[in-house]
Amino acid sequence: MKNFQWTEPQTIEQAIAWLAKANGKAVLMAGGTDLFTEMKEGVVEPDLVIDLKSIPGLASIQKDKDGVHIGALTTVASLAADAMIKLDYAGLSAAAGSLATPQLRNVGTVGGNLCQRPRCWYYRDAQMDCRKKGGSQCFAAKGRNKYHAIFGGGICHIVYPSDLAPMLVALDAQVTISSPRGERNLPLAEFYSLPAKNVRRENVLAPDELVREVKIPLAKKGTRSAYVKLKERETWDFALVSAAVRGTVSGGGLSDAAVVLGGVAPIPWRLGKTEASLKGKKLSQALVKEALRADLQEARPLEENGYKVELVEAAVTRALLSLTRPL
Amino acid sequence: MKKNAYLKMAIGNKPQGKETSTPAPAEFKLIGKPTPRVDGKLVVTGRAMYTHDIFFKDMLYAKILRSPYASAEVAAVDLSAAQNLPGVKAVLKLKEGRVKYEGEQIAAVAAVNEKTAEEALKLIKVDYKALPYVVTPDKAMADGAPRVHDSANVEKINEYSRGNIDQGFAEAEVTFERTYKTAIEIHQTAETHASVAKWDEDELTVWDSTQAIFNVRDGLAEALGIPETKVRVIKMYMGGGFGSKLDANEHTIVVAKLAKETGRPVKITLSRKENSLCVGNRPSTQITIKGGARKDGTLTALSFRNTTCGGLDSGDQCSEPTIDVYKCPNVKVEEFTVFTNTGAGRATRAPGHVQGTFALEGFMEELAAELGLDPLEFRRKNYTTSNEGGTGIVYSSKGLDKCYDIGAQKIGWTRRNLKPGDGQGKKRRGLGMASQIWWGGGVPGTLADIKIHRDGSVEAVSGTQDIGCGTRTYMATVAAETLGLEPQDITVKIGDTVYPWAPISGGSLTAPSVAPAVRDAALQAAEHLRGIAAKKLSVPAADIVLADKKLFDKNKPENSIAFKDLVKGLRREAVFHGERGPMPAGFAYNTFGAHFAEVEVDTETGRISVLKVVAVHEIGRVLNRLTAESQVVGGITQGISTALFEERVLDENTGKMVNPNLQTYKIATSMDMPEIVPLFVDLVDPRINNLGNKGLGEPPRIPSSAAVANAVYNAVGVHLREIPMTPDKVLKALRGKEAGS
Ligand SMILES: Cc1cc2nc3c(=O)[nH]c(=O)nc-3n(C[C@H](O)[C@H](O)[C@H](O)COP(=O)(O)OP(=O)(O)OC[C@H]3O[C@@H](n4cnc5c(N)ncnc54)[C@H](O)[C@@H]3O)c2cc1C
Repeated sequence: MKNFQWTEPQTIEQAIAWLAKANGKAVLMAGGTDLFTEMKEGVVEPDLVIDLKSIPGLASIQKDKDGVHIGALTTVASLAADAMIKLDYAGLSAAAGSLATPQLRNVGTVGGNLCQRPRCWYYRDAQMDCRKKGGSQCFAAKGRNKYHAIFGGGICHIVYPSDLAPMLVALDAQVTISSPRGERNLPLAEFYSLPAKNVRRENVLAPDELVREVKIPLAKKGTRSAYVKLKERETWDFALVSAAVRGTVSGGGLSDAAVVLGGVAPIPWRLGKTEASLKGKKLSQALVKEALRADLQEARPLEENGYKVELVEAAVTRALLSLTRPL
Repeated sequence: MKKNAYLKMAIGNKPQGKETSTPAPAEFKLIGKPTPRVDGKLVVTGRAMYTHDIFFKDMLYAKILRSPYASAEVAAVDLSAAQNLPGVKAVLKLKEGRVKYEGEQIAAVAAVNEKTAEEALKLIKVDYKALPYVVTPDKAMADGAPRVHDSANVEKINEYSRGNIDQGFAEAEVTFERTYKTAIEIHQTAETHASVAKWDEDELTVWDSTQAIFNVRDGLAEALGIPETKVRVIKMYMGGGFGSKLDANEHTIVVAKLAKETGRPVKITLSRKENSLCVGNRPSTQITIKGGARKDGTLTALSFRNTTCGGLDSGDQCSEPTIDVYKCPNVKVEEFTVFTNTGAGRATRAPGHVQGTFALEGFMEELAAELGLDPLEFRRKNYTTSNEGGTGIVYSSKGLDKCYDIGAQKIGWTRRNLKPGDGQGKKRRGLGMASQIWWGGGVPGTLADIKIHRDGSVEAVSGTQDIGCGTRTYMATVAAETLGLEPQDITVKIGDTVYPWAPISGGSLTAPSVAPAVRDAALQAAEHLRGIAAKKLSVPAADIVLADKKLFDKNKPENSIAFKDLVKGLRREAVFHGERGPMPAGFAYNTFGAHFAEVEVDTETGRISVLKVVAVHEIGRVLNRLTAESQVVGGITQGISTALFEERVLDENTGKMVNPNLQTYKIATSMDMPEIVPLFVDLVDPRINNLGNKGLGEPPRIPSSAAVANAVYNAVGVHLREIPMTPDKVLKALRGKEAGS
């Protein structure tokens, strides 16, 4: 690991000031569960590490009339355990609980989770000069790509590995971003960006910006959410495919629906056509299969990841059907 | 250790002795009971000293620069910048010329801390000329493939035949051929390889994370050109070896050299990546079995063809189970290895038997279905009591039939789908089983001492190593049992080459080698003490019993003397040299077992959950039920892990391993483990040694992947024939079945 400076700002303003001054040579650290593995492998070699944990007040979950505010430093474990979240946003609680292991959930934060870097094994090997690291090729395209993207790849086939991101997108969450220019709010769906836009990054944060909090709209009556994560082993595993769904149950179907996938694309992947075809119809396995058809036609599997298309169907079906199950 | 040497050791010296003079009694007071580990507290409280924990105040830290290329010409290595870095104490060039795999040693550094050593590696300039390479067997076998060594990439490593294979197939009413594949598995020990070297004048002491202190000693002496008498190797505790720690490793030789050059102790601890690339793996296999049988299930012919890959070194011979387990007069075996530009394979917990059993037992299951027979009945039908499929010499003891009976009853064998895939629904359940054979007879000539001090304390001493299997505990138990003491009364001293010789801790050799040697020494000690007590108590020595920390007249127990009081009178501490005796000729000494697994397969997600495993083993006498059970649980854990998850993934385009870490090289977690029921057929081998025990290190590892794969077959009606059985493969197989292929 390369030598680096360490700083413990006391306020967001100080943190941003450090960021701005470092001119792209600084990294933010929250729980460090992702950052440190990157640094140890030499994938990132910052001059300065800014420890956000020293800033008070960023680890809380609060409900007000605008919605539920989740501070960037809230640990994944406390999100999973929060009683209000469990009640109003069961899918989010499940997504948090499905992530990594108890040790990692105790340390890892929501902000770190939403800004974590991809797990692509070519990207994570410092010796591989891949596109995401500024090189000229994507080794996954014709290499070992069992865990890679079936949607939205193009020039870089990473999948966005976060369990919270697809669920929060399905819940129409917003992120609050702080920078020397002040604060801005963005729908989380617009926070993430495809490789075609900037292959070096997975989101639209500028080098001097950080995520301060996530805000979820207040849960509407009758709206439910669910998260189904398919993995290879029972725990300590990223999603092969995950389905984050939200819907308002009416009759035997959904009057509105959000279906967002994890593990299949460089960003949380929203299935707009599927959502539209589900609306107002009686939910059944057959309906979901039919509704998925148009979106799944856009899948572009690589040599070793075609099975993910099948997994999408299983995950989405299970997640949606669980919404109408009696509580 | 070369795999052939390992197998030779595991098979044991050709039995040539006479019946043992002191046959084992049927029942003991301590031996065979569940005894907690004598060192358990130290281990779970983190106070046991592993090689990773060894520390000296003036110690230096070594790091090794390794080739990032699968094949390259190293034209020049420039060490000067590294040498000039403050804190660097020595830099060694280890290679010039051709490097043949990713991870091969190029240069080494010793520095005042790990960070400086790491920085120094970055300053070493290597002029590589990348060369063509092959990293997968398919590519290596292709026409015009770059050569790994100077010879051809494919080499025959084994052949065997008995009877007449053509006639065997002619006699068959059903003939059937299937191909099975196993992936390369990495040892992935919890404690990565590590060594510390320290010189005192011309004497070298090495603390090494090893399964074989004497091999390391001899290997170091040879590599350094010094007498074995000048090398001492110590290993107190170790976090797993599984066959990857049986020799003097290259990095151990490097730290010995760096320590010599700097005059300071030098330590090296391999990273997880180095552990994944450079210190061994279980070779992959592709095994085609063709078998012939009569409709009643009588096997008439078995032909076995293996193409194995162990990277730079030869792969594994895997045919032994096919040659031995089932009665079959006509057998033909051919085994080939394929060389690739990847780290060399090494013995891995039951080398060859794991892969060979996966193929054979899968084949037996599928052939049974083809014949419309209960797979267990099919195996019973072809049962033998002598080796080489009923054509060789008789087994000294074989309890496999009892393993079948007990296992079938405990798992509820009648619950299985009578036809594979009969079940209904999205989640399908199934039962499967597999048989196991391994050696495990032990090594004659193994030494152990019992030392009785005049204050009544007793030592059991042997240059063996406890690699987590409970060696210390059974040494204490055997000594205590024989001397009428308690395990806590015995101080066990092992893990140092200054102690009497014992073999590698591998090959399931340790318990049937060391325990009988301790028993032999303790019997001599008991004999000696009986003689003294006889005089004191005025009774014939033959009537003296050692029990309850006393020696007493068996006819008049109150006529006794405390052990402590008796040994007070010794002129000096008394040492008794024990040796594990030879095995009688004319018999085969093997261990047996059968695993029964129940699984559930999610046919929509391809996920397999193992619900239950019943494992029944026949290992002669069980020395300690508690550690024996934990050995079985460990074997099954690895078996399930490789059945479902583990695989070294190589990228042919770059020549690199893409998953050299524990996030992407997936190992089963505790949440993936089912209910495990470890059971033993309690029999005592009548002649193998003075305790009647055989080994257990490898047996529980052998049939577990096969039993799981067979259960999956029973659940879904299609045999995957390939491990690991990850969701992508499961879904592909299910779709293939739907398409009727
Ligand atoms: C073995 C293993 C398994 C894992 N399994 C899962 C899994 O199943 N699902 C999953 O979703 N994740 C998983 N993770 C990833 C990770 O641990 C978690 O996502 C965790 O929540 C990250 O949070 P952190 O606070 O530790 O992030 P850090 O490591 O501190 O940061 C991660 C990244 O985000 C940036 N960052 C952190 N906070 C902010 C902020 N407020 N604003 C802007 N940028 C920020 C950092 O600069 C860094 O690049 C796993 C990690 C490991 C090592």
